[in-house]
Amino acid sequence: MSFLSTKRVSKTKSILLAAALGVTSSQVLAECGNVTIAEMNWASAEFAANLDKIILSEGYGCNVELIPGATTTTFASMEAKGQPDIAPEFWANAVAVRLKAAEEKGDLTVGVQLISDASEGWFISESIAKSHPELKTVADVLARPELFPNKEEPGKGAFMTCPAGWACEIINKNLAKESAFNLEKAGFVTVDPGSSAGLDASIAKASQRKEAWFGYYWQPTANVSKYNLKLLDMDSEFDEKNWHDCVVDDTCESPKRTSWVYSKVNTVVVTEFAQKNPEVMGYLNQRSYNSADVGPVLIYMSENQANGEDAAYFFLKNNEALWTQWVPADVAEKVKKSL
Amino acid sequence: MSRDDLRGLRKSIDASFRDFTIEYGDSLEAFFDPLLDFLIFSERLLLNTPWPLMIAICAGLAYTASRSWNIVVGVVAAFLVIGYLGMWTDTMRTLSIITVCTIVAIGIGIPLGIMMAKSNRVQAVVSPILDVMQTMPSFVYLIPVVMLLGIGKVPGLIAVIIYALPPVVRLTNLGIREVDSDVIEAADAYGSSAWQKLVNVQMPLALPSIFAGVNQTIMMSLSMVVIASMIGVKGLGQPVLKAITNQYFAMGLLNGFAIVALAIIFDRVSQRYGMRIQKHRQGGSND
Repeated sequence: MSFLSTKRVSKTKSILLAAALGVTSSQVLAECGNVTIAEMNWASAEFAANLDKIILSEGYGCNVELIPGATTTTFASMEAKGQPDIAPEFWANAVAVRLKAAEEKGDLTVGVQLISDASEGWFISESIAKSHPELKTVADVLARPELFPNKEEPGKGAFMTCPAGWACEIINKNLAKESAFNLEKAGFVTVDPGSSAGLDASIAKASQRKEAWFGYYWQPTANVSKYNLKLLDMDSEFDEKNWHDCVVDDTCESPKRTSWVYSKVNTVVVTEFAQKNPEVMGYLNQRSYNSADVGPVLIYMSENQANGEDAAYFFLKNNEALWTQWVPADVAEKVKKSL
Repeated sequence: MSRDDLRGLRKSIDASFRDFTIEYGDSLEAFFDPLLDFLIFSERLLLNTPWPLMIAICAGLAYTASRSWNIVVGVVAAFLVIGYLGMWTDTMRTLSIITVCTIVAIGIGIPLGIMMAKSNRVQAVVSPILDVMQTMPSFVYLIPVVMLLGIGKVPGLIAVIIYALPPVVRLTNLGIREVDSDVIEAADAYGSSAWQKLVNVQMPLALPSIFAGVNQTIMMSLSMVVIASMIGVKGLGQPVLKAITNQYFAMGLLNGFAIVALAIIFDRVSQRYGMRIQKHRQGGSND
């Protein structure tokens, strides 16, 4: 209770002070009001949503509510109803066409690339990358199936793909075809882990026992940071037509070699909200980090079975030099006080 | 318990399990290698047998067990439709793992059931374990099993057996315990040894009950097919999972029905077989 009341007093004070001085920050407080932020159902997005929640509520005095959701459901709601206002970590490739349409129509604003080096692709485990430093590209790995033995088909190498039904399962299947990387001829078989839990467990098992693992994953994730998985260079040009017309299409017969499509991970904001809240947008457009910044946070989450809120506080405490660049000094002070 | 203590407890359990997997994972994997070889062998056998031969064998088995032409016609029709709709390979894979599961479950379950019937102490220990096996949500033990043995057939088999074993154990136990005490007394009077009593008196009389157990075990292992495919077991579960993730209604329905067809075949054949055994016994006695 005492915490709540002091908070209220300080807020009233600052409003009074701002009103007395007639400075712009009074507008922030008056205008910000209620904000809804999409909290997507995976670790890094939970963290991003809670980070925004803390900074917007403590620093800008907004009244923030988190709305749980998944990519497609959240997007549909933002597109149709203009709610939630902000989707901090939005993996745009899944709904690229519709997002572009909504942006052109003026309903949604695509903001900054939140995680500059977010990527999907084929990874190998740390132990094999260390013992065989020559494995740098996909072609290097494909030349050595004996390093990645498959228990159920002796003599072949194992490539761990996505669980059945994921979009990347189709992509991997196409990239494995004869016209692309030709896994079969290289002596590899594709192994379906069955579920995301199965995929994660296979990585954990291989990494803890220092075994070789070769398969699909993405970053930033706790697994990549914790087990230090190494992203392989696909060593091919990205051809947009080949990717969109063929690689992602279940029925395409002759996909060509390509590198993985660039992962657009943006903050998406409802345009109406963006126009009304220039100060908040000032923060959102500054806020950006990379896998190295967020990796320790994700490891902290998985090791302590912590939630997004714990993770956001952990980040704010340990990365002051980074996040204080995103906000004006007075806002930074307020956030620091709340920690 | 405070939040920190609870977190500490969870962390230490996780850490000790991790140490255990690092320490003993390899030897456990090696221990299960023969089982893996057997699974691979049985799958290859079923996949490489030409389909007309396979259908003929299944029909033959169905007739030997059930002596019913209706069931034979049903079996042949079901397999023809499955093949026609392009689900033959997945069905054979599922059939293979179910067969191995049933063999292993019978191999472990019947002796365990007999031991439970012979000793109240064993029963007191095993019963709660069976309860846990049947009610513990599968994913709780699936992931630890994958951490120990990796993705694929063996962990899938273990998961299926954990779920499907209890009925055969329970019903074997029950069947033997329910054998009439007069009959046992008579056997004792004739001076039979414990082994003779078991093999010649108790087991034959408990057979219908044991058969009901085997039947239930098969049914339950079929119902675990989809769960097992979540840790990489190939078969009919995989397309079902795919259909669930992408809302492919028809795909889910067709593969779901293939599982149902297998279940009905197994069920009718084994039930008929159980009934035939019982009939023979009733005919022999003068009740």
